[in-house]
Amino acid sequence: MAEVGEVAVSMRALGKTYVMGDVKIEVLKDVNLNLLSGEFVAVCGASGAGKTTLLNMISGIDKPTSGSVRVFADDLSDLSEDELSDFRCHKIGFVFQSYNLVSTLTVAENIAFPMEWARKPASEIEKRVATLLDSLGIRHRQNHFPAQLSGGEQQRVALARALANDPLLVLADEPTGNLDSVNAVKIIDILAMLKAEKKTVIVSTHDERIVQLADRTFCMENGTLASSHV
Amino acid sequence: MCETSFPLNDLFRRRLQTGLVVACLTLSVASTLFLLLYSSRVGVGFATINENILTIGLTLIFAQFIGFVTILVFVVGAVLVSFTALLMMTQRTRDFGLIKATGCPNDLLFGYYVTELIIVTVLGCTLGVVLGFGADYALSSLSGFQLYHTPPNFWYTPAVFAVFFILALIFGTKPIGDALKLSPLTALSTVQYFGLAATGKAKPFTKSNLTAKIALRSLFRRKTATVRIILLLSVVFVLLTVSVSGSIIAKETTTSWIQDASGQSVIAVANESLAAQYKSLLSAFTGTSVNEGFNYSDPELAVPDSVIQQLQALSGIITVDERLILKEHVLETGNFTYTPNSSLTTYVGDEHEGDFVVVGVDPAHLSTSWDTQGRFLRGMDESNVVVGEWMSQRFFEQPLVESLRIEGKQFIVVGVCVDPIENGRVIYAPLQRLENATGINSPNLILLRIDPSADRAQTIAQISTVVSKTGSNLLAFSLDETVQNNVNFLSSTWSTVMLLPIFTLTSAALCLVAYVMLAIEEQRQEFGFLRAMGAKPRTVTGIVAIQSVIVLLSSLGFGLSLGTITTLLILMQHPLVTALTIAEIATWLLAALAAMFLLSLVPALRLARTPLLKIMT
Repeated sequence: MAEVGEVAVSMRALGKTYVMGDVKIEVLKDVNLNLLSGEFVAVCGASGAGKTTLLNMISGIDKPTSGSVRVFADDLSDLSEDELSDFRCHKIGFVFQSYNLVSTLTVAENIAFPMEWARKPASEIEKRVATLLDSLGIRHRQNHFPAQLSGGEQQRVALARALANDPLLVLADEPTGNLDSVNAVKIIDILAMLKAEKKTVIVSTHDERIVQLADRTFCMENGTLASSHV
Repeated sequence: MCETSFPLNDLFRRRLQTGLVVACLTLSVASTLFLLLYSSRVGVGFATINENILTIGLTLIFAQFIGFVTILVFVVGAVLVSFTALLMMTQRTRDFGLIKATGCPNDLLFGYYVTELIIVTVLGCTLGVVLGFGADYALSSLSGFQLYHTPPNFWYTPAVFAVFFILALIFGTKPIGDALKLSPLTALSTVQYFGLAATGKAKPFTKSNLTAKIALRSLFRRKTATVRIILLLSVVFVLLTVSVSGSIIAKETTTSWIQDASGQSVIAVANESLAAQYKSLLSAFTGTSVNEGFNYSDPELAVPDSVIQQLQALSGIITVDERLILKEHVLETGNFTYTPNSSLTTYVGDEHEGDFVVVGVDPAHLSTSWDTQGRFLRGMDESNVVVGEWMSQRFFEQPLVESLRIEGKQFIVVGVCVDPIENGRVIYAPLQRLENATGINSPNLILLRIDPSADRAQTIAQISTVVSKTGSNLLAFSLDETVQNNVNFLSSTWSTVMLLPIFTLTSAALCLVAYVMLAIEEQRQEFGFLRAMGAKPRTVTGIVAIQSVIVLLSSLGFGLSLGTITTLLILMQHPLVTALTIAEIATWLLAALAAMFLLSLVPALRLARTPLLKIMT
């Protein structure tokens, strides 16, 4: 568990350019940012501003073209593919806008599989799954498949899966983007619960209610950090 | 959207998948065409069994094998073509939904995809014909055996082309028709993609082996495609077992028949001209022509008693096998036989007659042995004969209840043997009785079996000395080269039979790769998100490997059992199976299994090297 107040994420001169044929698209430009442990940070901005790319860089899903990303003690550019997998499995909990649950696993199994990769004992997995099912209010759905759930329920399962290994950092990419307001509120309540537990959370969002919840908010514009509010 | 360029553009857009479908079709057509051309060259085509090549008994075994292998290759080809056409079209179901949603009428949409199907089918079938002919031409050019140099039967080409073209059209048009019946919304749903079925009822939570569960459940969810690929690979493994184990067992068995009947490590003594004639009689097995006008009764050919006595006195010889080879006019003598099932006594035999090689042997001093139906001649036999397989099939109606007449003397047929002499157009009779019937009282061929414990070179030198001292045209010669040539011919023919399914196996392997590629395509995003959640690249490769292993092992289990039963119970009577044979078969099958497994991992390994973000998007 990281100490509250220590630097959780540090980005230095971070840049990302995608090349598509002859066209170069600069998605991130010279991003410099320090996020502290225990902080709840919101990243907002228009579509295409670079929010998702920023989260992908922090989680090691994508690699920067220039600059560096340091998450807790790890400089991500030094890690191999296998080490990045371990890093994501143990330290990061990622919530996608479109849930992305494994369609062939039940709700409980979807929550359990990151723990299996972390080689946790079966008894611990069972206990943790039960705790998460209860705290996210989806116990009655534990034996159902994702296709049998509503969008809100799927996103709660995705959140439970992200929290399964008790990660140091939770990243959420527009977690309420595909939900109606009733289901969005349930997700925001869970995020508020994470904030209360002093989890380090970075959320990319358009949702004003999440922005209000944040300790700090960064706005992105054309790949750069345009402004920040405390 | 340009109506004429859409199908071509769509095919080019899916270059790899199009290539795989064309390759599968090409190899299926090529394997079937090559098999038909090859079997007609060897003389065991469907239309005729050519008794001028191989002994008739072996021809029947070859005909059975090649017939069975051809049927299996055809079944595999049909299943393979139907599978690839189905895959090709089901993976376009979502596109159907998209195009329909934009307002494209059904008939135009049908036209687009049928055009794609026709382009791919024509291309695959044409390339298959070229490859099949090329392989057949290469075999005939490279082979040293005369019988492979006959012209091919060109009529097989349009027949194979037409059958596969029609099959591909039928099986490919069906999923297009099915997709057209769907509403755009349903066609766009992932449930329709690649034959997916929605996951059924709720399942209790299990907290272990979730990686294996993802693999298993994904496999079962693609029920249609999984069942088809298992069916396809099962038939492929039946084909592989029959052709590999069958060919190896048949090669061992038939080689031992031919070696035993011709004589292994036997030294022959005969007049120079008869020596050459005897070799050509044995070589008729590989298609070599025999001098029909040879005078076997020439007194010059007789081996003098004095020579025989000197040979018998040599220490390193264990058997002196005196033989009298003649060409005699033979008459079939029919007989009455009782049939218990019908309680009827019927007359069998058509009073055939003809000139055949008759070999007089002393049953008590034989240097060779035969695979015989019935029995071979025994020491006390006086008026019994054993006939070669050609005689049993073409001369007699039911040889074992009939008799024959030579020089007015009656002989009862007691056995039918496999023998390479004139491709089984041979009769073995007791030497004494034949001499009495023909009035020729000296043998004209002596076969000498050398004691294995004796010094072979020294014994051969002693034989040569005895023969050279006679001052006549007598010659001591080894049959090893002739026998070896026959064995090489058998070996080459069975090896070709064994390799016949290589195209089919390759196309099935490609089909498995296509199946794995499409399975990965269907799970691609899911794999990406698994990686994003912390799964290592090898975990994803493991999921694909588990699926491949399940598909391959279930197919192997079915194919191996059915193939073994078919080979041992139906295709090969009295099989010669040794530990070495089993080891050889196991090695081939394991090699094929391992090659297919490794090939099936290629798409997963490619995925493991793909950047994570590219997989996810």
